[in-house]
Amino acid sequence: MVEAVAVGSVRRVADGPAAEWLSTAARLGLAVVWAWAGLAKISDPAVAAQAVRAYRILPEGLVKPVGYGLPFLELALAVLLVVGLGVRVVAVISIVLLLTFIAGISSAWARGISIDCGCFGGGGAVAKSQTQYGQEIARDCGFLLLALWLVYRPRSKASVDAWLAL
Amino acid sequence: MSLSEKNREGKRSARERMQQERAAEQVKAARRKKLLVVGTVLVVIAAGVGIGIAVQSSRSAPSTPTAAPAGAIGDKKLIIPDGPANAPSTLTVYEDPRCPACGGFEHQFSATIDQLQDQGKLYGNYHIVSFIDRHDSGHGSKNGANALACAQDAGYFRAYHDVLYKNQPDETVDTWKDKSQLIALAKQVPGLDTPAFESCVNGQHFKSWVSAVEQDFDKTGYTSTPTVLLNGKPIYPKNGNEEISPDNLVKWVDQANQGKPLGTTGSASASPAPTSTAAAALPPH
Repeated sequence: MVEAVAVGSVRRVADGPAAEWLSTAARLGLAVVWAWAGLAKISDPAVAAQAVRAYRILPEGLVKPVGYGLPFLELALAVLLVVGLGVRVVAVISIVLLLTFIAGISSAWARGISIDCGCFGGGGAVAKSQTQYGQEIARDCGFLLLALWLVYRPRSKASVDAWLAL
Repeated sequence: MSLSEKNREGKRSARERMQQERAAEQVKAARRKKLLVVGTVLVVIAAGVGIGIAVQSSRSAPSTPTAAPAGAIGDKKLIIPDGPANAPSTLTVYEDPRCPACGGFEHQFSATIDQLQDQGKLYGNYHIVSFIDRHDSGHGSKNGANALACAQDAGYFRAYHDVLYKNQPDETVDTWKDKSQLIALAKQVPGLDTPAFESCVNGQHFKSWVSAVEQDFDKTGYTSTPTVLLNGKPIYPKNGNEEISPDNLVKWVDQANQGKPLGTTGSASASPAPTSTAAAALPPH
């Protein structure tokens, strides 16, 4: 009985107008994450490139394009989430990007190299005692939940999508 | 079936057809709208990333410096040499002016290294990197590296290098963000503190060189300073199983030099004036 009520209220939240406000909150939350991550990587291109290089995954020829371009990809996602245009596509791209980050951090962890993920600026080699792979992955998983919600319920209040009646 | 009934049926099927057509058109319009949105999203992302890469490329410092200090060696002139270029062994040192471990290294080894160089046994190759400014934020590493380049340009690299490390501030205190501190320390090196040196320090004359040296260090894969290589092989903090010490360093250099002629010695090597022979020498790797 209690379970039934709980399931019922979850369903009401997930389907009712409250869900659209919840999606708006998820949209703006994820937008803040991407904007913060992007802006923090822009000031010094050499640092951004070194953060990418420190993973020792990409060949040297791709280090700079990725280091220079990634913050702008993150900013573009932030802008699209703020205005609420193509929320489901943007959420899917966000998921792909977050899974890539999680894979990169896991790979660095597994190979025993000591780096800062450079997720919000900085990055590069750090002392072995200063690595925070577990927290970094957990944080990205939290962001992943926001993006998953938006794939599940992309319709949200105060969005261009709603204005276009998509 | 009467005629009117047939008529009615015909009307109904026509209405149904129209409704179906309208529904199909709505579906088509909705799909078109969705495609347009997805297309817009992809265009926004592609444009953002494209513009971003272009902007960052134009903002980033070139990996080849626009000006290098006199006597710097290597294909991009990023390395400061100390001691005789024809010495049988080469000691490559990557150090950051703000790095405390480099201060410790210099405190323990500078006398021994100077001696080995002056005996013609060792050719010092210094890479003055500046990555502490990134980690701790600040300007002291870059200002210090630039001042060292200015000192090299004036022919006083070794003396000024030793003075800087003897007066190194704590890593977390960015004393050398104030360039006048670097000029004040230059007064301890007779002959160095000239108007040309001061304007070189204040105007960050070798800024692009400092940035290029750091970019070069980024690509080496070495992750900390000091990184010390004897003839290309890492020896700090250990050479194989042996800890580095002044005695061991002398021993390792002598072992490496066995049967080889020593480099040119003389007063010139103690305070290396920029020479064309030094500039022509190649880096160890």
